[in-house]
Amino acid sequence: MTWADFDPGFTLISLIVVVSAFFVVRAQNMIHAVLWLGLTLLGTAAFYARLNAPFLAGVQVLTYVGGIVTLMIFGVMVTRRHESLEAEAATVAPERGLIFASAIFVMLSVVMWRSAATIPSPAPVASSADLARVLLNEYLIAFEALSLLLLAAIVGAVVLARRRDLETSPQGPVVPQATEVQP
Amino acid sequence: MTLASCLILSAAVLCVGIYGLLTRKQAVAMLLSIELMANSANMVFASYGHFRGGPSAQVFVLFALAITVAEVAVGLALVMLLYRRHGDTALDLASEARQ
Amino acid sequence: MSAVTLGLIATFAPLAAALLLWALVPLRHRGAPAAWVTLLGSVIALAASVKLVIDRLGGAPDVRTTIPWIEERGRAMAELGVQLDGVSVPMLVIVCLVALCVQLFSVAYMHDEPPRAFGRYFTLHALFLFSMNVVVVSPNLLQLFAGWELVGLTSYLLIGFYFAKPSAAQAAVKAFWMTKLADMGFLFGLLVLYVNTGGFEWTAVPGTAIATWVTALLFLAVVGKSAQFPLHIWLPDAMEGPTPVSALLHAATMVAAGVFLVVRADPLFAQAPATREVMLWIGASTAVFAAGLALVQKDIKKVLAFSTCSQLGYMVAALGAGQAFAGFFHLGTHAFFKALLFLAAGSVIHAVHSNSLDDMGGLRKKLPLTTAAFVIGALSLAGVPGFAGFFSKDLVLGALEGKASWVPWAMLMGSAFLTAFYMGRVVIKAFWGAESEKAAHAHEGGLAMTGPLVALALPSLGAGFLGGWLATQVRAEYHLHLGLTPIAASAMALLGIGAAIMVFGKGGQAPLVGTLEKLDAFSLVDKTWAGAYRIGLLGVSSLAGWIDRYLIDGLMNFTGWAALEGGASARKLQTGLVRDYAMLVVVGVLVLVLIGVLR
Repeated sequence: MTWADFDPGFTLISLIVVVSAFFVVRAQNMIHAVLWLGLTLLGTAAFYARLNAPFLAGVQVLTYVGGIVTLMIFGVMVTRRHESLEAEAATVAPERGLIFASAIFVMLSVVMWRSAATIPSPAPVASSADLARVLLNEYLIAFEALSLLLLAAIVGAVVLARRRDLETSPQGPVVPQATEVQP
Repeated sequence: MTLASCLILSAAVLCVGIYGLLTRKQAVAMLLSIELMANSANMVFASYGHFRGGPSAQVFVLFALAITVAEVAVGLALVMLLYRRHGDTALDLASEARQ
Repeated sequence: MSAVTLGLIATFAPLAAALLLWALVPLRHRGAPAAWVTLLGSVIALAASVKLVIDRLGGAPDVRTTIPWIEERGRAMAELGVQLDGVSVPMLVIVCLVALCVQLFSVAYMHDEPPRAFGRYFTLHALFLFSMNVVVVSPNLLQLFAGWELVGLTSYLLIGFYFAKPSAAQAAVKAFWMTKLADMGFLFGLLVLYVNTGGFEWTAVPGTAIATWVTALLFLAVVGKSAQFPLHIWLPDAMEGPTPVSALLHAATMVAAGVFLVVRADPLFAQAPATREVMLWIGASTAVFAAGLALVQKDIKKVLAFSTCSQLGYMVAALGAGQAFAGFFHLGTHAFFKALLFLAAGSVIHAVHSNSLDDMGGLRKKLPLTTAAFVIGALSLAGVPGFAGFFSKDLVLGALEGKASWVPWAMLMGSAFLTAFYMGRVVIKAFWGAESEKAAHAHEGGLAMTGPLVALALPSLGAGFLGGWLATQVRAEYHLHLGLTPIAASAMALLGIGAAIMVFGKGGQAPLVGTLEKLDAFSLVDKTWAGAYRIGLLGVSSLAGWIDRYLIDGLMNFTGWAALEGGASARKLQTGLVRDYAMLVVVGVLVLVLIGVLR
């Protein structure tokens, strides 16, 4: 790589993504962490746009930023312990996490560098129309299966969230029967 | 912008996610870290799709997105159960599986 | 309709009935309708076979149609089909007629059974008729073997019909065990034949040595199926089944399948004089041996069972003497009069609710029609001139004239005397003499019982006169001549009857009977087999049991113990903390990536 290859747009996107991701895992306030995640995901959308995948970028913004971030904020709000808006996010054993994460990063970089060397230049762009055609022809069954999966997930989430038998009783947590079994 | 730089960017996001997963206590925070990791996987797909051509990689990103949404929905429902049971979302409390 | 179509109808109508009853469970469980379905199937089969006979009387030729089965490289490994000739067509009529009579009789005899058992009974009957017809129409030995095994299966199921009764279950297993042992011979015989001739035809000419091997192996199966010494022990026990079953399977048709096989495979047996020699002696000894045992039985069905053994011995001896037609003719007449005897015995048992001869007596007045039927059957069996049995028995004895220095001939003459003697004993004990307690309330069964008795009594009287026609069908020579044998045979029959009246007429016991009872030769054979079973099979089983218990189970227990112990130690790894599990996953990823880096 030389300076001629320097790509300011990509560099900016990378910086936004990595830095905001870092704040997602370090922010003390959970609401802030979710909002940082939103920024990471937006950065990723920009990344997709630069990779000539505008449809992907749009979907990313709609589902991730619009859907998941909203859901997460709901999750944080509903499970707040105190009335304060501050939902504290405790961390444990940061050294262990740092060591493992950096070890994986180093080795993964090596593997990916090698792998990338085999594919030098960008290939012709696939348009959104191509994408649609493939999605509804070749991958139609997977597509339909996925809609079933989503349905199942919705039903499952509703059933789980409405379950009452695992709630705290006055004497303390309800202990499931299985825990009584001695080895 | 080369394939290598794209891949290393996604590796970086993945490792930040791993770091979060290993250090966070709150279930919701762990879910956020998992989202980061899933996102990095999507980035790898999209990068290869761009550099090798063809729409298939993008299709898989779409699928992965939908699966992630499903995962988050169920995950959050579990978190709510956990909260109702223990009054907290620290996953360390959910260690009944041990017995 | 062509002959082949008729043959197929005769074979498959009962199968259709059986399948219908098998598939339509409510119909089977209703009981009575199941009987109608089976009877309908049998009537169709009988009609088709009667039409075949009429066609043959009109000069229809032999038919043999086959389809290839298991084709390989353009050549069929075997063939399935229908062969309708002078052997199979009369046999079809005999089988279908006797089966229909027995089934009709069963409607009355099995009346008290619960509907489910009733339905099961008739389903099995339909299946049996199909299997037997497969044997009869088969054009080669392989299909015959298939039908052979099928009749064995239905025999097993019908002997064990009262499977809740331990003795019936045991008898069923014993019959299965003994006949399967013998059927190994059939299987190996088929293999030897196929290897040497490339087919399953009974018309093959493989040379004397091979033919001797094949026929000897086939004869082993005959010994088992037709209850010849020393594999006869299953037949008396098979009387545990319902009496109509004994009449159809274990007297008239199934046990005769062995004789039928030899008649069919006559061209093969003709090439093996050594096998025929063995057959001659085994048949003759069985005839005498079983007749002696029939003399001492207290159970009316057991008398008839040993009598069946004895008469099958006659047929086998005739086949051994090379006179297949004599054996076949005796098979036909025997089917009628033995089925008649069994059904009459069934009628008696139905009336007095006991198998024991001691519980009978003086039934002549209560059961006139049954008595008449039984007496006709007995006279026919004894070989009194004019009755069906006389003609065929005479032919058998004539076939043995001068064979092997007259010894087998003399043995059969002796057993002819014994036959008349023991049948006289049964008739006198059951129908004459003092009326027993149980016999006091006896009465005739309904039309369904008496009808078949009449229907079978007629051929028992007159079938002997059909010998000439039957002989032309199988292209055998047949002439009734007034020589030494018929006179001696008639004399033996009359002497036997006279002796029986002399000895039993006054309620006395034959001095011979006591001696034979002490000797109890039957249980001797039985004990020998039981001993072989105990030493052979149980010994191997207990060895296998020891290995299973200590070696294999030991290994299993050790594995279980190791898994438990290992699990208990591995359990300490499980902290129950999600973060620790995530940690382990990350370690796994690390290892995988490391492998990627180092590669």
